[in-house]
Amino acid sequence: MRRLLPICTAICLATLCAAQDMHAPASAIAGEEVTISTNGSGKATFYLLGPGVSRKSDVSLGSEVQLKAQDLQNAGEYFAFLCSDTCRSSSFYVTAAKPASLTFLVHPSRVPVGQGDAVSGVALPFDQFRNLVLTPETVNFHLLEGTASVFSRSSQTRDGIAWFRTASQKSAGTLQVDASLGDLSARRAVQQVASDPCNLRIKGERTKAGILVQTEPVRDCAGNPVPDGTIVSFTATDGNGRSTVDAPIKQGVARAQLEAPGATVISVASGVAMGNELRIGAQP
Amino acid sequence: MKFTLPIILVAVTAGLMTLALFGAGHSSGTVGIAAGSAVFSTKASTPEQGLNNLLADVQRRNWDRAYSALSTTSAGDRQSFIQDWTGSDGSLRSFSSLEGFQARPLHATNDDAQMRVRLHWTTPVGPIEDVRDFHLIREGGTWKVAWPKMQISSVPAQIIPVTYLRWDLVSGSGSDEWGSKNVDAPHVRIISMNAVDSAEGAVVMGEVVNEDTIPAFVNVNAALVDGAGKAIDDESSFDKIDHVLLPKQVTPYRIDFPNINLKNVKNVRMDVKATLVPASADPVIGVMNQKVVSDVQGKSILQGDLMNESGQTVNIPHVIASFYDNNGKVIWVSDGYVNRALLPQSGQPFAVEIPKSLAGKVQSFHVVVNQYSLVRS
Amino acid sequence: MSRMATIFALLLASSLSSYGADSPVRVQLDSTKAIPRSVESLTEQVILRDYRFAWTSIAQALEFNTLDPLEGAFTGESKQALSQSVTSQQRTGLSQRYVDQNHKVQAVFYAPEGDVIELHDTAEYQLQILDSGKLIHEEHVVVHYIVLMTPAADRWMVRHLQAVPQF
Repeated sequence: MRRLLPICTAICLATLCAAQDMHAPASAIAGEEVTISTNGSGKATFYLLGPGVSRKSDVSLGSEVQLKAQDLQNAGEYFAFLCSDTCRSSSFYVTAAKPASLTFLVHPSRVPVGQGDAVSGVALPFDQFRNLVLTPETVNFHLLEGTASVFSRSSQTRDGIAWFRTASQKSAGTLQVDASLGDLSARRAVQQVASDPCNLRIKGERTKAGILVQTEPVRDCAGNPVPDGTIVSFTATDGNGRSTVDAPIKQGVARAQLEAPGATVISVASGVAMGNELRIGAQP
Repeated sequence: MKFTLPIILVAVTAGLMTLALFGAGHSSGTVGIAAGSAVFSTKASTPEQGLNNLLADVQRRNWDRAYSALSTTSAGDRQSFIQDWTGSDGSLRSFSSLEGFQARPLHATNDDAQMRVRLHWTTPVGPIEDVRDFHLIREGGTWKVAWPKMQISSVPAQIIPVTYLRWDLVSGSGSDEWGSKNVDAPHVRIISMNAVDSAEGAVVMGEVVNEDTIPAFVNVNAALVDGAGKAIDDESSFDKIDHVLLPKQVTPYRIDFPNINLKNVKNVRMDVKATLVPASADPVIGVMNQKVVSDVQGKSILQGDLMNESGQTVNIPHVIASFYDNNGKVIWVSDGYVNRALLPQSGQPFAVEIPKSLAGKVQSFHVVVNQYSLVRS
Repeated sequence: MSRMATIFALLLASSLSSYGADSPVRVQLDSTKAIPRSVESLTEQVILRDYRFAWTSIAQALEFNTLDPLEGAFTGESKQALSQSVTSQQRTGLSQRYVDQNHKVQAVFYAPEGDVIELHDTAEYQLQILDSGKLIHEEHVVVHYIVLMTPAADRWMVRHLQAVPQF
């Protein structure tokens, strides 16, 4: 029995000395070096598996394993394994570094004036390695019409997202939409455009070539000029049949030349809006 | 016995090859000819031979002989005669060739005859048929075509002021980061859809509107689905649509499904795709004097005149018309290319056909003009 | 007889090797708490379909160390990170199997214009790590993922996939 005890002790010590172990940090910051300490003696194989990385190297037990900054750029869960006869494992999380860019989604890029909750924006802070920054950050949203501020709000990110929603303004033009987080900022533009034409009115007269007809300045119901290029359809009906011209608004008015020698009725429409009718007598 | 079958096969193959070599030559020479051959006859002793001689020369582009063989009563000069057949100003006719023709007499006396000819043209937009009447006169025992004076469009030198309006597409010079290029696609909407059976197969048609404030490049796709939810076929509107739509503009579309009957179709899945596109608001083309009439062959057609109101030549005008019943439902969409170029401030006639079965139901119509300009492209 | 044994061995080997990638991926999606926009029923179905497809693709890509499965389901940062994982594993000879995947997914944010959705995924699976085909580690893991998905022409794609200690 006396002889057996030292033998057992020796076997146990030998087992303990040979058994490898390692200590990884509980968490780390993306792009920063990490040291993992190992116990034991002899040689072992070290494995690191994580988002975007897979590493395998021989290590001497008892020494430290240096994980380089480029191995730990992606946020997420990393697994470390130390294998000789058996394998030991450890896992740790890498979290995003400080915000380095701001992704800013703004919609729509064109919006009719005077519409409630029509403009919205979503901001997402990312670190320099494009990891989503999940710690709460304050994002300032700022909307400008020309130089006039029309909307301002501070919003804290939740799970990496801050957002706002607001109405479009009363007048047509470019709405500048800014999001900022500390020194970071992103800018988008929303075109506020007139709604459908309202009170479409035409006037016309006979010329040598036929009938020259044109609209009064085309505006929406709020008085905003309808964008140039919008199609206005003129239709003239006389004894010879029907003549139509789809003419774009240019400099606020649309005009067309119609061929109709007889007594003619001319109507006008743009989208869902109808205008007045014009009656012009036959060519003398 | 062992060699009988190979010998028969060799003999039949040789026979077919001989037939192909000599027979094909003859048949190509007679394509489209209702009476006689397209081979040139030295002396045209019948109106048919006189007309064949002219059209054979036109096919071969033998303009000297074709023009010299016209009747002395013909009007117009050589240049306008050639231009009438070959087109000008980058028009569709200038990219076409006369593939064949079919003639039939309308009336004939001892000294003059009237012939109606179906001219079959091959063009970049597919085969086109043209119907034309010819007047022939017997001069010294030979039948000759009396060529009428053609109205060739000509435009005087002038300056036409145009307030030019166009949209350029700027894709952004910044990084390609997510969210940095937030220009929405144009909003377009299918405002009507109707599916019918036609002689050639199923047809899906309707109209699309650009509801946005910017131009859109539009394409409409349709998939026919059977009772089990399986797609039978899917097709696109191809050229039966005005692809570039300005704000608030409406275009007809038609999608053809050849050899498919609607009785096998349970559902039609429609999909309209719109993308941002640089575009110009010019040229403006008016569609004048539109009316539904019967043509010389008794077919119902919508005819009218296109009027180019801008200062830019439209090389190949393309007319697309939607026809409505008394409920305002689109019951047919027709299209047709105009052979002649549309010169600035001038007009060209057009006609599109309405199927006989629908002609009586047509209450109204809407015409749009698609245009291809060499300068722009 | 020996030929039959060889065929049997090959079949067994192939069935074992494809075990992880062929293992079913179960996904439950709860979108009732999404703000500020409620998730449309059809959108929910498509997201469920595409997120399940994304994890099937991850399992295939990381088990067989091939980039092909990553086409179509991923975009942006997630595609880049997964591609790096595959090429890195190709170099080291390592591979991973995700067996018996079970994902409980909650939509927490759905953008007002519907152009991005954020999901919280509590994923459970048997993770097997192999070195040149030899199993070196196996463990049942529970991982919390923050996921960003964005719509493409005919599907939703995973743009961002980031594991976190907890939500």
